[in-house]
Amino acid sequence: MALRTPVRTERPAPAKNVGGRGRRPRPSAAGARIWTWLTLPGTVWMSVFFIASLLLVAAISFGTTDQLGDPRFGTDLGNLKALADPAYRDVMVRSLGYALLTSVICLLIAYPVAYAVALHAGRFKNALIAAIVVPFFANYLVRMYGWSVLLSDDGPVLQLLRAVGLADDHTKILNTGFGVIAGLVYGFVVFMIIPLYAAMERMDTALIEAGRDLYGGPLRTFLFVTVPATRQGAAAGMVLVFLPAMGDFVSAQFMGGPNQIMIGNLIQDKFFEGQDWPLGSALTMALMAVLLLAMFGYLRRTRKDEAEATR
Amino acid sequence: MNPTAPPPRPRRRRGQRRRPVFAIAVTVVFFVLLYLPIAMVVLFSFNAQKSLTIFKGFSLRWYEAFFHDSVLLGSLGMSLEVSLVAMLGSVVLGVALALGLVRNKGRLGAYAGLIMMVPLITPEIVTGVASLLLFKGLGVTLNSGTVMIAEITFSISYVTVILRSRVAALNPEVEEAAMDLGATRWQALRLVTLPALLPAILASAVLIFALVFDDFVLAYFTTGVDPQPLAVRIYSAIRFGVEPTINAVGTLMLAGSITLIGLALAIPRLFGRRGGLDLISGE
Repeated sequence: MALRTPVRTERPAPAKNVGGRGRRPRPSAAGARIWTWLTLPGTVWMSVFFIASLLLVAAISFGTTDQLGDPRFGTDLGNLKALADPAYRDVMVRSLGYALLTSVICLLIAYPVAYAVALHAGRFKNALIAAIVVPFFANYLVRMYGWSVLLSDDGPVLQLLRAVGLADDHTKILNTGFGVIAGLVYGFVVFMIIPLYAAMERMDTALIEAGRDLYGGPLRTFLFVTVPATRQGAAAGMVLVFLPAMGDFVSAQFMGGPNQIMIGNLIQDKFFEGQDWPLGSALTMALMAVLLLAMFGYLRRTRKDEAEATR
Repeated sequence: MNPTAPPPRPRRRRGQRRRPVFAIAVTVVFFVLLYLPIAMVVLFSFNAQKSLTIFKGFSLRWYEAFFHDSVLLGSLGMSLEVSLVAMLGSVVLGVALALGLVRNKGRLGAYAGLIMMVPLITPEIVTGVASLLLFKGLGVTLNSGTVMIAEITFSISYVTVILRSRVAALNPEVEEAAMDLGATRWQALRLVTLPALLPAILASAVLIFALVFDDFVLAYFTTGVDPQPLAVRIYSAIRFGVEPTINAVGTLMLAGSITLIGLALAIPRLFGRRGGLDLISGE
């Protein structure tokens, strides 16, 4: 135990030469080269199979198709112009709306859940958080399929709602926009719970008590103490939910109908059914642009938050 | 009564917090809705009838059907193969990358640190489209090999992220002590550093196996026609008419991935804080 040393991120200063034996020279360029050799294979692999392929998508989005439907490189702006076509624009706007609504609904669900688990579950805390994470690793398609059965027109949820008079025979969940959002929420809510849970665990609970001592009711204390203290976790969760929700195409297929398709479905269609790869690439670039914007906005916010915190 | 002074409230004892009834109610409903869909799939996999909505007694017929379905079994074999290769490939590349990344302060390290983050924020459909275009551009025939390459690309980042913090927490003095005692860099790495990282390496390997086995989007974009990974078969089956066999396959996959995730969570614990590990990790 005495050997235990604290975490060090930087290389410690060389120890004094204690014994008679001279210390070997500090790792020279030859010794440091090993780190380069370790870094290279993964870096080359990622550069070829990831970065280069992304650049290829960008290049093909300016391309055209030949008579066989195969993509050709080019400098054609037609695909990018087609994105402004109302048919595609509407789908993109809808995807954006669905993904944003999904993030907000996830936030509304995750706050109470993270709060209850992080601060009121006592010794069951770890078991409960594991119980939330584990099903997320279960196959996405199988989970989504089970969810669609549960919410189907004569599935248990609607039967229950009809029995208590909250729904009539015409109420539907599947094949509506709400169904697609329900699917996205079910798929990605865990990405919101984890950062919020972590933020609540880090939070000083004395703050909540102080809020109560100052005569704040539960709701006021929650809104003016807990929420600001966990704002960063919420922002991270919003991004983590928004990114996959925006690119998803399974929920729209399993839970929605032809009027609820998202940009992911368009991309899938262009690559597998429509055989218009350049247009599919342009749609992929549009998707990537939205997500990079979201990411950029998030990073700017956190940087501002950090700057304020250290001021 | 003085209107400015709020009425005194009975002070609660310190540490005794009120139960947030609303939050607990939401949590209970959340857990029910989280598990019900999974429970439905499991339940109907044992259904004696073909119905997907009414349970008519217990039977194993759908499991039997699965084990006699050569197409699905072929898909299962392919998925296992792809997961295994992707696991080995991404762990080797990812661990090396994590080690190099943490110690490499130069330009290469900065570039590597940047590009390994990109896959984590890229939706799978984009990665799928990009891989498909690359393979087609190179004139490669899509088969299990292309799925493996795509899955390795997707998994390296996860391994590196998991390992990077562990590598950063290592105490470099221990490695240096080994070298002072005559070990070469490689020996120090192999005999001192890698054993210290073993729990994290094993945990990330199990995690990657589970993620790749369950992955659908990337496999869908990069697979050939026959055989197809199990997740892709499940997708087609759900989309174009569901057979109850899918419930049985789904249940088996759920059982498999839950076991693996449990294992991944348990591995660091199994190694525990015993032995010489915390001497090096300094945690």
